[in-house]
Amino acid sequence: MEDPAKIIIIDDNPDYLFTMETFLKRNGYETLTAEDGQKGIDLIEKEHPDLILLDVMMESIYSGLDVCKKVRTNPDLKDIPIIGVSGMGDELGVRLEKWGDEDYFKVDEFFEKPVDKEKLLPKIKELLEEGLIKKGKAVRIGGKLYPKK
Amino acid sequence: MEPKEGLIDRPDNSGIIVDLGFRTILDLLPCYLSIQNRSLQILFTNENFRKDFGEGVGKLCHMAYKRSSEICKSCPVQKSFKDRKVHISEEDVQLSNGKTAQLVVYSAPILDVSGNVSAVIEMSTNITQVKEIQKELAFLGQSLAILSHDIKNILEGLQGGVYVVDEGIKDGNMELAGKGWDIVKRNIGEISTIAQNILYSSKKRDPKYQKVSPEEMVKDVVGLFLEKSMALGIQLKHRSNPALPVMNLDPTNIRRMLHNLIWNALEACKKDKEKHTHAVVVRSDFHDRFHFKFEVEDNGVGMDEDAQENIFKEFFSTKGSEGTGLGLLVVDKIVKEHGGWVEVLTAPGKGTTFRVILRMG
Repeated sequence: MEDPAKIIIIDDNPDYLFTMETFLKRNGYETLTAEDGQKGIDLIEKEHPDLILLDVMMESIYSGLDVCKKVRTNPDLKDIPIIGVSGMGDELGVRLEKWGDEDYFKVDEFFEKPVDKEKLLPKIKELLEEGLIKKGKAVRIGGKLYPKK
Repeated sequence: MEPKEGLIDRPDNSGIIVDLGFRTILDLLPCYLSIQNRSLQILFTNENFRKDFGEGVGKLCHMAYKRSSEICKSCPVQKSFKDRKVHISEEDVQLSNGKTAQLVVYSAPILDVSGNVSAVIEMSTNITQVKEIQKELAFLGQSLAILSHDIKNILEGLQGGVYVVDEGIKDGNMELAGKGWDIVKRNIGEISTIAQNILYSSKKRDPKYQKVSPEEMVKDVVGLFLEKSMALGIQLKHRSNPALPVMNLDPTNIRRMLHNLIWNALEACKKDKEKHTHAVVVRSDFHDRFHFKFEVEDNGVGMDEDAQENIFKEFFSTKGSEGTGLGLLVVDKIVKEHGGWVEVLTAPGKGTTFRVILRMG
């Protein structure tokens, strides 16, 4: 059996970390957590996860923006899919499209808090599959994913 | 000396003649009015102008309005001389009683028979109160946006907590259910904080004064940031004058104010990639015989003129998506509630000092 995909959750809210960790573990993923941007960066560099779930508006000095920049400018890490999460949305004009202008701030998907977990799961699955294809570990044939030998 | 009946002759012989009948009407206009020549020398003023700025005739416009030797950056009068069109600008001025005011200024050319601009008539209205209301509304609007963010976070916490409780019950794992229940309770507690924030931002509140030492407050708030500043490699120091006596202040709000200023200073240092070492110094000291000051100085990115002019005027942030600009507006609100004012000394690339000046006592 394949190893479960490794997801790093970075958020400055410990309650969120615990509930999201519980949720993802119960859905078959291996999870690691970090409660601020700096710890998140260290963990990503050490663990090379398959996906990052990142609070983009942490109230810590190293924000989600810094984490994203670090990942996207590191050739070893730049292809790791990132799902950005934030409680700030339209009301402050904070939108994914706006951040997309910054070359270093490219999240693959954005979810507003409270995160709709029913929508999150299929998105994680899709991004993990794309990640495998990018890494050359799998191919998609007729809509189905096959591991590459 | 009163001019002779019918005509007012002006010192530069610009040919501007104001009939005394018109002069009475101009005097009655509920706005400030002046007529100026090409060198911005004032040739005529109306009653309202004289009441709030003194006589003015013969003075340069910027001297009369602002007591400044420099011409205003976007001088509408000069523009009207140049293109013979009407121009509008907003200016901060100083009244002769020492108070400041915000004016909306209109300028229109006065043409002679050959169509040349012989003078410019400048009319302005005091919009200080309108600006205050605008700021209050912006504050309210942005506060609501932030509250919406906070509420979403609480919803996230409640939904997450409920999920964990459900999973715990499903598995008969009471420890897990208990953890979930704690999360639910904590988030219910958060709602009361939100309620306080709503109160803070939606009504004008009088400060709750207590005798407190400015030095102690500086120490307290600096202490909260020591770990963060160390992690960032920024030196954070406090320098307080021990001779400064205890003052009547609202300690909660003054701490909030210092918190916001130090946070901004650290952010400004963090953004600066030019200098190798960064420091933030927080001071409390005497300002003059009647006032004392808090200062937060950083050697971060600094601000350009545009940023400097806008920081307290509206929701303005140099932090991009990282900041909402609420912090400085809260600073401004707290300082005003204490009857004080804020001075900003800044230069792009060099750093910024925020100086909060409050009355002693």
